[in-house]
Amino acid sequence: MTCEETKQLFADYWSDGLNGEDEIKLQEHLGACEGCRKEAERLGALWRDLGALPAEQPGPGLRSRFYDSLAAFRSGADDRFSQPSHRSPAKQMVWQIAAGIALLLAGVGAGYGLRPNQSPELSQLREEVANMRQLVALSLLQQQSASERLRGVSYALRAEPNDSEVLGALLDTVKRDSNVNVRLAAVDALHPFASSPATRNGILQALTKQDAPLVQVALIDLLVDLKIKQAEPELRQLLQNAGDAGVRQRAEWALENLQ
Amino acid sequence: MARVSAGELSKLAVLFERHHRALFRYFVSMSRTREMAEDLVQDVFFRMLRYRSSYDPSRPFTAWMYQIARNAGIDQKRGGEVVGIEEYMERHAEPASSSPGPEEHASRGQNLNLLRRALDRLPRDKREILVLSRFQNMKYEQIGEILGCETGTVKVRVYRAMRALEQIYFALEKEKVS
Repeated sequence: MTCEETKQLFADYWSDGLNGEDEIKLQEHLGACEGCRKEAERLGALWRDLGALPAEQPGPGLRSRFYDSLAAFRSGADDRFSQPSHRSPAKQMVWQIAAGIALLLAGVGAGYGLRPNQSPELSQLREEVANMRQLVALSLLQQQSASERLRGVSYALRAEPNDSEVLGALLDTVKRDSNVNVRLAAVDALHPFASSPATRNGILQALTKQDAPLVQVALIDLLVDLKIKQAEPELRQLLQNAGDAGVRQRAEWALENLQ
Repeated sequence: MARVSAGELSKLAVLFERHHRALFRYFVSMSRTREMAEDLVQDVFFRMLRYRSSYDPSRPFTAWMYQIARNAGIDQKRGGEVVGIEEYMERHAEPASSSPGPEEHASRGQNLNLLRRALDRLPRDKREILVLSRFQNMKYEQIGEILGCETGTVKVRVYRAMRALEQIYFALEKEKVS
């Protein structure tokens, strides 16, 4: 057995995965070759020390976030990404605002829900709630944690359909967010804003800048859902240039459906 | 997973309890930030839900799960994050085990903290193969399936990664002495 062949057995040797025959051959070579023997010993000791490195344990918050999120996912699409807060005081404040909105809504519902005509107070309250929702959505969309930004998208879904600030933040998220899941959620959240011309232009711009195939497909689906016929040049460009076969197929499908 | 795929979403909790610690260790070893690792674990379980129909019960679940985990990590890195995982790790010095502990005086007089630092400095592909084989205790066949290469190639890459780790380790040791 050569030195080269011996070294190919080292990985199995360290992990006790050698069969009897290879073990004998390896030991014979190590007995005769000092270089390989020393290397096997040095790297073997390092391998054992790697196994002695303490295993990191996740914090307790991970489990509660998972179960909350799973429950939300099962309860409905709108809240599927909703996960509880667990960190900084700033985030805590955002959630306190959110809790305030919930209480406010409950109060509004209880006090005025059955009245046939809206009073000026009710209109004012509703406006305040909308402003608070906008504030929470915009704040969360700026967070560093992807989970928090997903919550922001979830809040954006509840914003007024004519809220241009939330729309702008969502389009920015679709174009620039580092996390594909956040981008996908933001694409879904654009549906309520469909009537705005800014939405349509924003979707087309986002499509040209997008590099993740999953998001490209989601944007193409959205173009078809919203019947955005002026998307033809962008779709033809994707059909020719997209690196992913799935994206090209979807673009072709979209072109047929938009005709 | 086959039952999750068939619509029993609550069974995802069983998978979570079984695998979330290993996934967390994988991500924290690759990113060295606890917060990002926890986000990515969460991300993996939601990708499992989203792509549950693509699960093939005839293939090992663990390989499928780690393929999702790798993609989640790659997307996080590729997605134009202002800082990449490694840079993030260096800038946000919140290493999971930053304080020296008793392990510093382990066998062979080797400093495990030094070994941890050497591991962090390994190129991503080499670090990943050691994390999968040594921390996740995966068979080389499984790793080959996850990485899309032959078992023999995995073994050679493990050997090369160990050589690279040793070189970095000794360089750090020299720095410490001088």
